[in-house]
Amino acid sequence: MSDTIELLEAIGQNATLRHASADQLASILEQANASAALRSAVAAGDSSLLSAEFGHKPNKAPQITNVPGHEEDESDDDGDDKPHHPSEPGHSQPHKHTPHKQ
Amino acid sequence: MLLIILSALPFPKLPYYQAMDTPPLPPTNDAPRGSLACVGMGMTLGSHLTPLARSQIEQADVVFAALSDNIVELWLQRMHPDVRSLQPYYAEGKSRMKTYRQWVELMMTEVRAGKNVCGVFYGHPGIFAWSPHKAIEVARAEGFKAHMEPGISAEDCLYADLGIDPGRFGCQHFEASQLLFYERRIDPTGYLVLWQVGLVGDLSLKRFSTGAAYRQVLVDVLSEDYPLDHEVIVYRGATLPIQKPRVRRMALRDLPGAELTAEETVVLPPSAPLKQNLAVRERLAALDKEASIA
Repeated sequence: MSDTIELLEAIGQNATLRHASADQLASILEQANASAALRSAVAAGDSSLLSAEFGHKPNKAPQITNVPGHEEDESDDDGDDKPHHPSEPGHSQPHKHTPHKQ
Repeated sequence: MLLIILSALPFPKLPYYQAMDTPPLPPTNDAPRGSLACVGMGMTLGSHLTPLARSQIEQADVVFAALSDNIVELWLQRMHPDVRSLQPYYAEGKSRMKTYRQWVELMMTEVRAGKNVCGVFYGHPGIFAWSPHKAIEVARAEGFKAHMEPGISAEDCLYADLGIDPGRFGCQHFEASQLLFYERRIDPTGYLVLWQVGLVGDLSLKRFSTGAAYRQVLVDVLSEDYPLDHEVIVYRGATLPIQKPRVRRMALRDLPGAELTAEETVVLPPSAPLKQNLAVRERLAALDKEASIA
């Protein structure tokens, strides 16, 4: 069986494969001896079927940013469960955290 | 030979957009100097990683990863033997700001230990991402070399997949919550792109989604500038090369009831035509006339 990550990388780098129809890609993947999970994900147009191979580990979207104005007014205290109301942008509070100096 | 020449080249100290609280420390010769590079992985596995970002990853001592898809993370692990995921630091009920500060400290701990650190972030490392900017600011303030390599962002993919040119009518971008927390001026003659609508209005910073009632508040705010039957586009780019972009169109009034994830972006096309600024046009015409006489 071919390595699924390598196949995905190859598809992502190849203009023909990246924009191939599901049928075309399914045929190519069969010839490439792709995993059943990858072939079924392509055939169904549902990448979540790859979880059969890699486990269902959805990542949190890291681009969830801070709410504007929050970044400078929250302490490092873990136990603070109070809602944090946004401050005026650009009016930051002093940091409690001081970076170590080398 | 090439390496010798390259190693002899001076490395200019790049300015950074934020003022530093502390002046950079002079480099010392008796300690290994760590460094930090924050790079973008792009959006789609295999398609978007730049040669320079890949080189940063491969040449680093330690790689930290904040990626949108665990399969993309597995791909990254093929490029370096020491990839440390930042995902475990997220938790429901934990402030995202605490998570992001932890990310900065994790990276800086290795930089201070003399390591060449690469932080890999999905899309572009400097867009809707607090930690890379902060880590670079802190590293530079402590005298370390630090920089950012851009990546293909969700915004870049959005323009391509939806056929939008931001230069045609102009384009405003906001984190959706900012429209609720602050008084902002929306220009409905240009495009409006709203990010993270799925968790709009979350004051706690501890949730990863809010809900229909919160989106209704957003729609109420938007309805001051747009009719409720105005068509909006809900967009999500592809992270795997076997995916297609997800594009849904609906009336603004239907946005609260739509299923929406944190990764999806809402685009409002212009609802009004551009209006000529006659006064400024007359002034410019007068300048042209003066120039032609002279």
